[in-house]
Amino acid sequence: MISREYEFHAPKTLNEALSLLEKSGGNAKLIAGGMSLVPMMTLGLAHPDAVISLNKVPGLDGVKEDGGVLAIGAMTRHHVLKTNPLIAQHAPLLAEAAKYVGDVQVRHRGTLGGVLVHADPAADYLPVCLALGAQIKLQSAKGVRTVEARDFFKDIMTTSIEDGEILVEVRVPKLPAGSGSSYQRLHRVEGNYAIVNAAAVVEPGKKKGRVALGGVGPTPVMIDVSAHIASGVSDDALRRVSDAAFAAAENAYGDLNGDAKYKQAMARVYAQRVVRAAAAQAQ
Amino acid sequence: MKYIGTGMTSLTNRQLAAGKGTFVADYKPEGMLHMAVLRSPYASARIRSIDTKAAEQMPGVVYVITGQEVAANMNPIFEAYDTAAMGAKGVKWYALVPERVRFVGECVAAVVAEDKWTARAAADAIEVDYEELQPVTDPEKAMEPGAPLVEPEWGDNILVTRDFRSGDPDKAFAEADGTISGVVKQHRYTGAAIEPRAYLANYDPYQDLLTFHASTQNPHPMRVFLAETLGIPETSIRVIQPHVGGGFGLKIPTFQEEPLLAYLARKLQRPIRFVAERTEDLLAGGHAREERLYYEVAYKKDGTVTGLRAKVIADVGAPSALCGWGQSFVTSYCIPTCYKIPNNRVQLFSVVTNKCPWNAYRGYGKEAASFMMDRIMDNVARETGLDRAEVRLRNYIQPHEFPYSQVSGAMLDSGDYPKALRKVLDMIDYENFPAMQAAARKEGRYLGIGIGQELTPEGCSMPRSTLLGGWDGCTVRVNPSGQVTILTGVTSPGSGNETAIAQIVADELGVSIDHIKVIQGDTDTCPYGLGNYSSRSIIMGGSAAKVAANELREKMLKVASKLLEVAPDDVDAEDDKFFLKGAPTRFVTFKEVASTVYRDCHGKAAFDVEPGLEATRYFKHPNVYHQPDTQGRFSSYPSWPNQAVAIIVEVDPETGKFKIVRYCAVHDSGVVINPLLAEANLHGGFVQGIGGAAFEHLVYDESGQLLTTTFMDYTCPTAVDVPSFEVAHQETPSPFTPLGTKGVGESGVTGPLGGLCSAIENALADRNVRLTELPLTPSRVWEAISAAQGGNR
Ligand SMILES: Cc1cc2nc3c(=O)[nH]c(=O)nc-3n(C[C@H](O)[C@H](O)[C@H](O)COP(=O)(O)OP(=O)(O)OC[C@H]3O[C@@H](n4cnc5c(N)ncnc54)[C@H](O)[C@@H]3O)c2cc1C
Repeated sequence: MISREYEFHAPKTLNEALSLLEKSGGNAKLIAGGMSLVPMMTLGLAHPDAVISLNKVPGLDGVKEDGGVLAIGAMTRHHVLKTNPLIAQHAPLLAEAAKYVGDVQVRHRGTLGGVLVHADPAADYLPVCLALGAQIKLQSAKGVRTVEARDFFKDIMTTSIEDGEILVEVRVPKLPAGSGSSYQRLHRVEGNYAIVNAAAVVEPGKKKGRVALGGVGPTPVMIDVSAHIASGVSDDALRRVSDAAFAAAENAYGDLNGDAKYKQAMARVYAQRVVRAAAAQAQ
Repeated sequence: MKYIGTGMTSLTNRQLAAGKGTFVADYKPEGMLHMAVLRSPYASARIRSIDTKAAEQMPGVVYVITGQEVAANMNPIFEAYDTAAMGAKGVKWYALVPERVRFVGECVAAVVAEDKWTARAAADAIEVDYEELQPVTDPEKAMEPGAPLVEPEWGDNILVTRDFRSGDPDKAFAEADGTISGVVKQHRYTGAAIEPRAYLANYDPYQDLLTFHASTQNPHPMRVFLAETLGIPETSIRVIQPHVGGGFGLKIPTFQEEPLLAYLARKLQRPIRFVAERTEDLLAGGHAREERLYYEVAYKKDGTVTGLRAKVIADVGAPSALCGWGQSFVTSYCIPTCYKIPNNRVQLFSVVTNKCPWNAYRGYGKEAASFMMDRIMDNVARETGLDRAEVRLRNYIQPHEFPYSQVSGAMLDSGDYPKALRKVLDMIDYENFPAMQAAARKEGRYLGIGIGQELTPEGCSMPRSTLLGGWDGCTVRVNPSGQVTILTGVTSPGSGNETAIAQIVADELGVSIDHIKVIQGDTDTCPYGLGNYSSRSIIMGGSAAKVAANELREKMLKVASKLLEVAPDDVDAEDDKFFLKGAPTRFVTFKEVASTVYRDCHGKAAFDVEPGLEATRYFKHPNVYHQPDTQGRFSSYPSWPNQAVAIIVEVDPETGKFKIVRYCAVHDSGVVINPLLAEANLHGGFVQGIGGAAFEHLVYDESGQLLTTTFMDYTCPTAVDVPSFEVAHQETPSPFTPLGTKGVGESGVTGPLGGLCSAIENALADRNVRLTELPLTPSRVWEAISAAQGGNR
C-alpha cells in the first residue's frame, strides 16, 4: 500500500514534463507503465514527493525508420515491441525478448524506456540493447545527449541518466540482412524476471559476432566473440565462447535463484546456446 | 436422474464467474473505519517502550492500541488445539504482544483510522523501542543445549515429542540383507490464496451483538474463540462467512488480528475492517512444511522392507494459538504410510524457532511422510536392483488387510494400493517408457519417469479440540412449495462442497437440484458445525446431510404411500415424484407431498406424522479412537484416501531445469459424489504440490528476516508452468460413512514431491544423481548433478 501522499502530474507536452521535473529538484519520479515504479512505492522502496506521468505526452511512443536505424519511442509498450513488423524485420531480438516480459497485463502497460531506466540486472531488454548496439537518447531542459547502451548501465538499478533527464528514444541500428540473432533466458516461473539471459548477434558471413549477458552481475556484460568464431562455429569455438562468458561473469552474485557459482556456470551455457542459434540463422 | 456420481459444475459458478461474489472487502457499511497493524521488525526482541503520540496526532486517526491495553482487557487467544490434551506445551499469546516479540511480523500495535492509507501511515509512525535478543532460526541448533530460548519459561525449544514403536527394529536391522540411511528435507512454504485474510467487525450495542464477517473456514469455532478471548457470551457474536477466495487451511482461526479487530469494534462502536496485504500474509499468515526426516531402513534382497527408524525434526516457528504445529504430529503419525513394515521406531521433535508460526496448509504434514517413504522405496529399488514399482508392490498393505493399524496407532480404513499403482503405470505406459527414454536420449533429450505414492488421511479429530472434530451437522428443510433449503455446519472456501451436498440431498429426496438452495457460513442460521478443513466437508457434512435428508425421506414416503394407498416400502422417490416401484406412472409429486404435510396435517395422509419437514442431524465418524493405548497412542484420522502418480519429466542437465511432460494420477477417495469438482480439486492440489516441490520457498536469513515477502520472490507456478493432468478415479468405499466417501480436498499436493525427485533421478540415472532436498529449483538440481560428478563442472 502507498500510504505516503504525493503530487501527481500528467503533463501534455514534453517541455511541460521537463520543467516539472526540473522544478521538483530531484524528488519527483517519472512514471511510464508504472509496472516497476508502483511496486517500488508500494514496498516503500521509492517515496517520491511527486509523480510525473509521461502517458499523456505525445510523440514518445512508436517505432519509426530513420535510415539505417529504428527510432523507438521510450513509451513504446512491450506488446508493441512483440508485434511490430519493423521490429520483427530489423531487430527481431527485441520482439523475442518482449515475449518473455511479465504477462499480458504487464506487456500492455510496461515500456521500453521504463525497463532501461529501472535497470533491473536481469531485465530482458538489457542484453538485447547491448547486443544490438543501441543508443539511448536523453533529453533535459538543457538539451539532448545520446549514450551508448553499453555505457548506460552503471550498477544494480543505476544508470547514467541524470536528474532532470527523460529517456525519449532508443535508437537501434537495423541488423544487416543475413545476420543471425537469438535471445534466450533461464527462469523459474514464466511471468517473472530471468535468472540469466543472453542475446547474440552473428553478422552475415558468420565471422563476426557478439553476445551480451544479463543477470550475471550488477550490469549486463558484452563479449565480442569474433575471434572465437572467425574460423567457423565449431564445438571448439563454442567452448571458447563459453569460457569467455564464464570469465565475463566474474561479478555474478548469489540471490534467491542461485549462488554466484551457478550464475557464472549459466553464463557459460547460455552464451553458447545463443551464439549457436544465431550462427545457425546467419547466412 | 441420479446426482451422485454425476460431474456437474458448481452451483456458485454463475455468480462467481460474473464477478458478483461478495467477499469481505466488498462490504462497506456506513461509517466504516480501517485497521492497520504495526508488526515486529525483529525475530526476537523485548519491547522497552512504545510511543504512539505521533500516530495519535495524525488527522483521521481514531484510535491507537498496544499490547498493554490488550493484556489488561483480553484473555490470551484461545487455542485451536487443547495443547495440554495433546501432551504439548502452550503459550499465552495475546492479540498484540505486550512484552516480547518472537517472529518478524508478530502484531505489536494497531491503528484505527478513517481510511486505510491513514491507518497504515499512522501505524508506521508508532515508535517502538526494542531491545534486540538473539534469535534461533534453525531447528537443530534450537535443540542444542545453550541455544537461545524462544520461550524462556519452557527451559528448552521443544514443543512436543512423540516416540512410537512396533515390533523389534534392532532385530530387523541385525537380520537385514542391507540397510540404508538418509535424510529428506522439506522446506518452508505455504498456501497463497488469491484473497488475503480479511475481516469486518461491526458492533450493535443495543442488541449487544458483534457481527463478524470473516474470510474464514470455520465460523462456529471462530465464534467460540472470539467469545473466549474477549470474555463475552457466544450468543453476543454472529460470525458470517461471505465468499472466500481460497483458504487451503490458512484461514483457520486463530490469528491475532481476529480478536483484536473484534475488541476494537466493540470498544469504538464503529464498523472496522482489516484486509491483509500480501506481504503481511506472507510474513504472518501462517507457514508450513519445514521438516527434516532422518531415516534408516532395513530390507531383504527381495525388496521387502523389514525395519524402519525415522526421526522427524519439524521447525514449527514460534508457538502460538494456531493449529499449525499439529502438522508435525501428523507427519509422525502417518509414517510408514501405505506400507506394511513390521518393525518401526518413529520419533518426533517439534521444535520452536523465531520464525512465523505454522498454520494449517493443505497436506497438513501428511505430505512429508509420503515423501520420505517414496524416497525410501526408490533407494531400496536402487540398492536391490529391483524396479521402483515392484518394490512398492512388495511392501504395500494388501486390500484384505484393512482395517490396518500402523505403528502410530493410526487405523487405516480401506484401500487398494496395488490396483491404483498398476492402473497409473498402465496410463503412462510404464512398460514401454525405457524405449521412449532411449529414443529421446539419441536426440540429446533427457527423459525420466517417476512414481509418487500419497496417503492422505482425512477427517481430523483431535482430543478436546474446539476446532478439529470427527463430526458435523446439517439441517435439511423442505418448504411448503416443495423447495429444499440445506443449512450446513461445514463451509466452502470455493471448492464446491455445497454442490456435492446438494447432490446428496437431491438423490435422497428424489428432488431435482434446481429446487435446492444451500446456505453455509452463518452462525445465526446454520447448525453448529466445525467448518472446512481436512477434506471433511463431504465426509462429515455430506454424511450429516444424507442422514438428515433420509429422515425427511422416510416421513415423506409415509405420506406419499398414504396418498397412493400403497405400503411405504413399495414407494420410491426420483425426479420430483414419489411413485410406485415398478409402476412409475402411479405417482404423487414431491410438491404435493410437501404441501400435504404443511397444509393438511390433520388430514388422512399426514395424520400420524409430526408436522413440519425439517431435520437437523449430526454425523459422528465411527473410525476415531481417543482413548489412549499403553503407548499413549490414539487414532485421530478416520478416512484414508490415497493416490498413485506417475510423472515423466525432461531435464536440462546443463541448467538443472526440468519440464513435466506427462502427469498421470489414479486417485482413490472412496465414492466420488461429483467427479468434475473432485478432479478440479485435484488439479489445484497438483499445482500446489508442484509449486511446493519446485517453485515456492519461504526463505529466512539467519537473523530471522523473511526474504520472500512478495510474489516476485515467493514464486508460485501459474497455468503456463504446469502440464495438463490426466486423472483416473478408483473407488474403494469407506466402510464407515453412509455413502462410502473419504474426502478429496487435500489430495494431490503430495505426489509431486517424491514423484518429481524420482523422475529427475531417473532422467539422470547414468549420472547417479541423488535428490534429498526440496525445492527442486534449477540451481539445486544443477548442484546435485555437479555433486554426482564430483563437483567438477
Ligand atoms: C508481474 C511483473 C512481471 C515482470 N516481469 C518482467 C520480466 O520478465 N522481464 C522484464 O524485463 N521486466 C519485467 N517486469 C518489469 C516490467 O518490464 C516493467 O514494465 C519495467 O521494468 C518498467 O517499465 P514501466 O514502463 O512500467 O516503468 P515505470 O514503472 O513507470 O518506471 C520505472 C522506472 O523508470 C523511470 N522511467 C520510466 N520511463 C522513463 C523515461 N522515459 N525516462 C526516464 N525515466 C523513466 C521511472 O521514473 C522509474 O524509476 C515485470 C513487472 C511486473 C509487474
